[in-house]
Amino acid sequence: MNIIVCIKRVPETTDADISIDKSGKDIDKSSLVFDLNEWDSYAIEEAILLKEKLGGTVTVISMGGEESNESLRKCLAMGADDAIRLTDPAFNGSDGFATARVLAEAVRKIPYDLILTGTQAEDDGYGQVGVVLAELLGIPHAAVVNRIEVQDKRLKVHRELEGGLEEVVEIDLPALLTIQTGINEPRYVSIMGIRKVAKKEIKSFGAPELNLKADEVGLSGSDIRLEKVFLPPVGEAAEILEGKPEEIALKVSEILRDKGGLS
Amino acid sequence: MELSEQTFAQKFDLYGCFQCGKCTGGCPVSLKSKLNIRRLMIEAILGRNLDRLGEREELWDCTTCKTCTIRCPRGLKPMDLVIGMRGMLVEEGHIPKTIIEAMENTYKHRNPWGKPKNKRTEWTKTLPEDVKVKNFSEGDRAEFLYFAGCTASSDPRIQEVAKALLFSFQQGEVDFGILGNEEQCCGNEIRRMGEAGLFEELVEGNVNRFESYQIERIVTMCPHGFNVLKNEYPQGRFDVLHTTQLLAKRLEEGKLSLKKEVKKVVTYHDPCFLGKQNSVFDEPRILLKAIPGLTFKEMDRSRERSLCCEGGGGRMWVEASSDTGQRLAEIRVNDAVELDAEILVTACPFCILTLEDAVKTSGHEDRLRVMDVTELLVEAIE
Ligand code: SF4
Ligand code: SF4
Repeated sequence: MNIIVCIKRVPETTDADISIDKSGKDIDKSSLVFDLNEWDSYAIEEAILLKEKLGGTVTVISMGGEESNESLRKCLAMGADDAIRLTDPAFNGSDGFATARVLAEAVRKIPYDLILTGTQAEDDGYGQVGVVLAELLGIPHAAVVNRIEVQDKRLKVHRELEGGLEEVVEIDLPALLTIQTGINEPRYVSIMGIRKVAKKEIKSFGAPELNLKADEVGLSGSDIRLEKVFLPPVGEAAEILEGKPEEIALKVSEILRDKGGLS
Repeated sequence: MELSEQTFAQKFDLYGCFQCGKCTGGCPVSLKSKLNIRRLMIEAILGRNLDRLGEREELWDCTTCKTCTIRCPRGLKPMDLVIGMRGMLVEEGHIPKTIIEAMENTYKHRNPWGKPKNKRTEWTKTLPEDVKVKNFSEGDRAEFLYFAGCTASSDPRIQEVAKALLFSFQQGEVDFGILGNEEQCCGNEIRRMGEAGLFEELVEGNVNRFESYQIERIVTMCPHGFNVLKNEYPQGRFDVLHTTQLLAKRLEEGKLSLKKEVKKVVTYHDPCFLGKQNSVFDEPRILLKAIPGLTFKEMDRSRERSLCCEGGGGRMWVEASSDTGQRLAEIRVNDAVELDAEILVTACPFCILTLEDAVKTSGHEDRLRVMDVTELLVEAIE
């Protein structure tokens, strides 16, 4: 089975101090660390597991600047065979739709049976790229997948619904699945593992190689225009209760009762 | 697997093993874990089960206390075999999730706790006004680099110890500076978890920094950092001290005056990486015994025979594979309670955290406190 995995390198924001940059349309990323998008790490692991079981190849694709090589290399070290980076200044500002369009053109050049993406990205969280990509390619898709069973030319996949419900669907190949966290346990990539793939070629394509016009991608090719990004306004001061645990517990229950939280 | 069984046995120098079992006999976790270090030696020699290492959860139970290696009559290094096996699993990538997190945190944030790297020195902001801290990365120079370490930079409890330490440095007229946000993980635990490549990278980064600031003398309160900086960093370039060594020296020179009485019954737990691995047994005791009013009692298992607290070798980031048997830290706490000690003193951030936890889980919060040597010193200074 030949699998394509679309990935993204994202900033890590947990525990970090976040501020808005000068444009007012993005956060200041200068002091942040970056890593492979968490959902994508499950997608690439799932692809490698399928390859280990069934053979075939795994190709990773990422749209982004040269720094995306870091995440592509991580995937190569996990066991991917090829890596492709889609880089062009014209791609900047692409929304989910424009991003999917760029990815679609790259995917068309490669034979595949299955495409995996993360369900969403940690940074903008649109959750659109995977499903739009499937539409553009004219193949079926299933989103938020947490289990895959391969049955010859089709797949049986489990989709995570709300409230612990699961939906099981059958889907014909070629298909696209957006992968949910928890589907597997992504393997660790050691420094030595990264060093081993340091020299491996990462192919890079821009808009001309993908036959894309400048107005089809980036801001001009996007339907969503970002107005501004802001931090949630700080609420009213919190009340810190003091005293022994039993006194605090008493005060909490009084407050809850007063405000109608306990009936 | 990359190594053939032949070279595996050669690489870890296993052939000298005559299966006497002294290693397992001394192993503190052998009572409660499937880990049997003697059996691991013979299986490795015979090349048995080497392809199924991934199933051996108990490999992560080893605390790298080094008792096995220290006691082996043939001078072999059974502990290194465990680390080597972990290394093979690390390269395959199939290791416990919490260990992966610790390693990825160290790669990204330069500490296993995941504290953002630009917040490493946050704890210095709450120091008392009169404690001045030089910072090498801001152009200051000093006789000693105080290598704070990841735990003191991340954990609120250990930050209290670091603060006490800086106060006693000032009292003892120690000329010291920190590396600021440029300090990064020493790599001791990383190496012991089997991530050899990351360890190399950390050593290189740290050594380059030390050299660029002409640092020659390093003092740290973390025995794990002390061990690796002293024994596993390039030799002969840095003079590395544990804080108890430096403070004992200052006491001897009359630069620390301990005037205030501390009327407490106190016992001392030897951290593995300070005591049995680096033979620093006396200095913490000298410091404690110099405190007026203090009654010092020795636990039965002390010095070389000290019981491991289970905090080393990556165990701060992974639970034991089986729940059978008592936590060793709880046994240790009971030892102290039996002596009627009011304070269980130690000199290691991991020991403080594991022992303090054990005081709570064993229900001894009203009877016993866990403190670092320096914290008690400060009580006698003020
Ligand atoms: S103590 Fe040394 S010689 Fe004895 S069983 Fe252990 S490794 Fe082998
Ligand atoms: S280092 Fe300590 S815990 Fe690990 S096998 Fe040796 S004696 Fe046991």
